Amino acid sequence: MARALIRRVVFGLIAVAGVVVLAFLLEFVVPGDPAKAIAPRAQSPAVLASIRAQLHLNQPLIVQFAGYFGNLLRGNLGTSYIQRQSVASLIGPRLLTTGVLALAGVVAEVIIGGALGILATLYGRVRALISAVNLTLLAIPIFVLGLLLLLVFGFQLSIAPVTGGAGPAQLVLPALTLGLIGAPWYAQIVADQMQDSLASSYVRTAVSKGLSDSYILRRHVLRNVLSPAITMVGLDLGSYLSGVVTVEVVFIWPGIGLLAVNSLHNLDRPIVMGTVIIGAVAVVFFNLVADVLRMFVDPRTREEM
Amino acid sequence: MPAVTAPGRRAPWTRDPAAAAGQRPARRRWPWQLVAGVAVLVAFAGLAIAAPLFGTPVHQDLVHGLSPTGVPVGPSSKYPLGTDLLGRSELVRLVYGIRVSLLVAVVSNATSIVIGSAVGLLAGYFRGPVEQLLMRFTDVGLALPYTLAGLVIAAVMSAGLTRVIVIITVLFWSYPARLVYGEVLRLRKRGFVEAGEAMGASGLTIVRRHLAPHVTSMMIAYSPLNAASAVAFEATLSYLSAGINPPTASLGNMISDGQVAISYAPLLVIAPGLAIMGLTLAFLLVGEGVKAFNPDLRRLSWLGR
Repeated sequence: MARALIRRVVFGLIAVAGVVVLAFLLEFVVPGDPAKAIAPRAQSPAVLASIRAQLHLNQPLIVQFAGYFGNLLRGNLGTSYIQRQSVASLIGPRLLTTGVLALAGVVAEVIIGGALGILATLYGRVRALISAVNLTLLAIPIFVLGLLLLLVFGFQLSIAPVTGGAGPAQLVLPALTLGLIGAPWYAQIVADQMQDSLASSYVRTAVSKGLSDSYILRRHVLRNVLSPAITMVGLDLGSYLSGVVTVEVVFIWPGIGLLAVNSLHNLDRPIVMGTVIIGAVAVVFFNLVADVLRMFVDPRTREEM
Repeated sequence: MPAVTAPGRRAPWTRDPAAAAGQRPARRRWPWQLVAGVAVLVAFAGLAIAAPLFGTPVHQDLVHGLSPTGVPVGPSSKYPLGTDLLGRSELVRLVYGIRVSLLVAVVSNATSIVIGSAVGLLAGYFRGPVEQLLMRFTDVGLALPYTLAGLVIAAVMSAGLTRVIVIITVLFWSYPARLVYGEVLRLRKRGFVEAGEAMGASGLTIVRRHLAPHVTSMMIAYSPLNAASAVAFEATLSYLSAGINPPTASLGNMISDGQVAISYAPLLVIAPGLAIMGLTLAFLLVGEGVKAFNPDLRRLSWLGR
């Protein structure tokens, strides 16, 4: 098991390194001159050339990449071109803001999705309705749902703030958006797993032993749902932490997604690189954490890894 | 508390009663989801093909298309969905937007599935260094933070259909690759691969003649889901000005243009939003219908967010 774990960590690191190389190459071919973005009114080529020299932009690609990668290994993400601050100090607080939203979103989707899945399994009459709801929610792109919620609760009913920001009142709608978008996945997992265990021989045994329905549900059925749900939470935390770009743009939530979009427009390469790398690390890391947690909850998965 | 029973399931050891009695099993009917989904898609395709009959999407009507104060006009017999902020018919733009969405869905679905299946088949059959190289590359693809990566690639290319299709292909091939790879590993354990090798068939022949047909049904079931996420992702990219840019109409950029008017002309967000939902829902229904044919594919899930 330990060897399998090490294997996974190594594969994860390779994937992150691949993302770094890819992002660096892409960033480099982005048209536009960062020196011009920094000093838009500078006329003389000498000024632009000196800015480029300062940022090491005049060196060959491979030298620049070696420099960047070396700094990265030492935990240094570089300095923002425009804001003259270290990328880490810019991303740090933004990551926290995004983290709050990601966590709230995951909590919302687990609650909504779990409720839908349990209801659909236990009460046959609402099953068709719930699968219709699931399918509809799956079909809405995240920014469309965000705008619709903003329209209804912000503009029509005036019970939610329509100005951006990172306060608790501003958290409700974006978290609800993430919750509704993610809910069908959890509903599906919960319903599938519950149906499987309800059809299983161990539940039949439990029924014939005379155990109560609620005890069987708690002890034998819902426990089995936990393992795939944990994997799903891991996937979601990872992908949300890499910046829920569209939600942050719609609700002007000042997280790393919004930072990345703005920096891309400003040609602020170090920040864009930083956010992409942090996103990849988050995805890989939370997948790993979810797999490890799963091994503790569900002994059957221990051999698979 | 409702009784704990398996809903709508026969225990695996019982046989179909009709078959057991020596009768022909009941004729299988087309799943309603498939029928409904295909019908809606055909309707959308009809609109897309007939788009030029509706008018030109860039025609600005400054006399009747805007109110005296310059605000878009609401629905009328001349403009069934009203006009946008520049006095252009919203309906005509909508139809042209649907055209773009369908085109992107069909083309990028095909490219990403073909590339993904090829990678999965080759990695699964040839093992060794080929497998390592291809699958580590797939890991990189899976670790990419979707929206951010899309934005970075978008910055490198000029706006238009090609850009959207390239971005979606680059981001979407890795998941089918993973699915096919897993399936091929399972297939290898069955005798026919060994039998083929014993008969002296070359590796590529075995992949083409013996393995590819086995993963086809899985990829057919996956492709409507893939197309649904392609529609949603195209809209997202265009919404973030990283896909198709105005004046070309796309459902995503219509929403981003219209959202500033959300408080007084909500139709500019709602109409394209509903069109995206309708398209995605239709593809998802087709996916559900295909899955209803083959219960083994029941767990196949949608990828995009």
